[in-house]
Amino acid sequence: MSKMTGAIYEIHQIDEIAQRKNWINDIHPLIKLIVTIGYILCVVSFHKYDLTGLIIMAVYPASLFILGDLSFLGSIRKLRIVLPLVCAVGIWNPFFDKQPMMLLGAFTITGGMISMVTLMLKGILSVLASYLFIATTTIEKICYALKLLHVPTILVTQILLTYRYISILLSEANRIMTAYLLRAPGQKGIHFKVWGSLAGQLLLGSMDRASRVYESMSLRGYNGTFYFRGKKAIGKNDIFYLLIWILIIGVLRMEVLL
Amino acid sequence: MSHIHIDVEEVSFSYELGQEVLKNISFHASENESIGLIGANGAGKSSLLKLLVGLGTNYTGSIRVEEMPVKKDMLPKIREKIGYVFQDSDNQLFMSNVYDDIAFAPRNYGFSEEETERRVENAINMVKIQHLKDKQIYKLSGGEKKMVSIATILGMLPDIILMDEPSIALDPKNRRNLIHILNGFSHLKIIASHDLDMILETCTRTILLSDGKIVQDGSTKEILTDKELLEANGLELPYCMQSIIN
Repeated sequence: MSKMTGAIYEIHQIDEIAQRKNWINDIHPLIKLIVTIGYILCVVSFHKYDLTGLIIMAVYPASLFILGDLSFLGSIRKLRIVLPLVCAVGIWNPFFDKQPMMLLGAFTITGGMISMVTLMLKGILSVLASYLFIATTTIEKICYALKLLHVPTILVTQILLTYRYISILLSEANRIMTAYLLRAPGQKGIHFKVWGSLAGQLLLGSMDRASRVYESMSLRGYNGTFYFRGKKAIGKNDIFYLLIWILIIGVLRMEVLL
Repeated sequence: MSHIHIDVEEVSFSYELGQEVLKNISFHASENESIGLIGANGAGKSSLLKLLVGLGTNYTGSIRVEEMPVKKDMLPKIREKIGYVFQDSDNQLFMSNVYDDIAFAPRNYGFSEEETERRVENAINMVKIQHLKDKQIYKLSGGEKKMVSIATILGMLPDIILMDEPSIALDPKNRRNLIHILNGFSHLKIIASHDLDMILETCTRTILLSDGKIVQDGSTKEILTDKELLEANGLELPYCMQSIIN
């Protein structure tokens, strides 16, 4: 499978996971969004040397992986590009903060080392929480939750269409790549001399395709506003889910403060 | 005159100045008619269909759908009456699953979720794709996509159905299924196609276009059995007629 086909497949796979019939998928998107944002804010609020507290906070993603029947390794594979970037954020800390914190045999662990690990952990936990939200909520429901939060309609529509457009752009790029490689045997990648014309083709092709999709939308009454399925009221289960997580996250955070 | 009809009078249209793709086109289509639009590549079939739904309003002449002129300010009302099936189903299906794609139009027209669901179920039953209701679009085969595309317009309960090459890329079984479904519709239908055998089976009237002009407008049987006429306009007899007439 080419990289492009793989990328399209992964987008479809996340869509499919988000559409599964599972009780976590059925929780109201606004509640899941609030819990996710609350969790991320809580995680980033930990002190830079508070490694233990952060490790305990992994209980949230761990529970969702189990309850949502999601593959942890599969998720790590999907996040393989983002995670190294997140981890790279604190990489210079050991060079700036050399204050000794503890001894591990003959090895001195400095504040910079601990803050590097905490920063990495904060990044990983936040990315995992966001992934879990996306993996259990369809893009339509995410946009619906944003609408409930009074995010401007134009911005919500932009998010939804951008998400849809990624697949169109990738399929267009895949078509061009396949056509090129079939007539360029033995070449690894695309020769730089044709980068310009291929990029131009990609742009024109995807613009053309996007305009036809837009025509199809306007022929079915689209006037700039998306209407979403699942306009359901927040139920008892949703409230229960929210309260449970407020309680758990709150207790874990307090435990650390105390 | 029935309220469901299309009137096209002396319509000319060009994408670029001085290069007319439609020249002085006139015809009237009324309720329950099934019209085949045939012609060689570049004859103007797709352009004509697009003008009927207002995908291009800078034409000269007059197009009226149910007495409403096809002009920018009337487009929302006109498009509510007409279902347009694209040649390439991938351009028509853009939501993540079949249900949401069919529900797209009813939701846009402000129907409640209950009414939307009723319309979706109805459309799904009409094209017999109950098994695809919750399936992801990218998992559908070409034939299934075509059926879902047809269901997406049926969800609007249109008076008029326009189809651009509906049988293209369909295998024989799916093509046969499409013909059965089309014959089951009582809507006013205009079907642009190179598949003359399908036109023969689904349309009672045919309009033959050549170089942007109407060459012949009449009974499908008469036009599609006129070998000389068809060959003079870049076509040939339908396959089923070739052994009988040659």
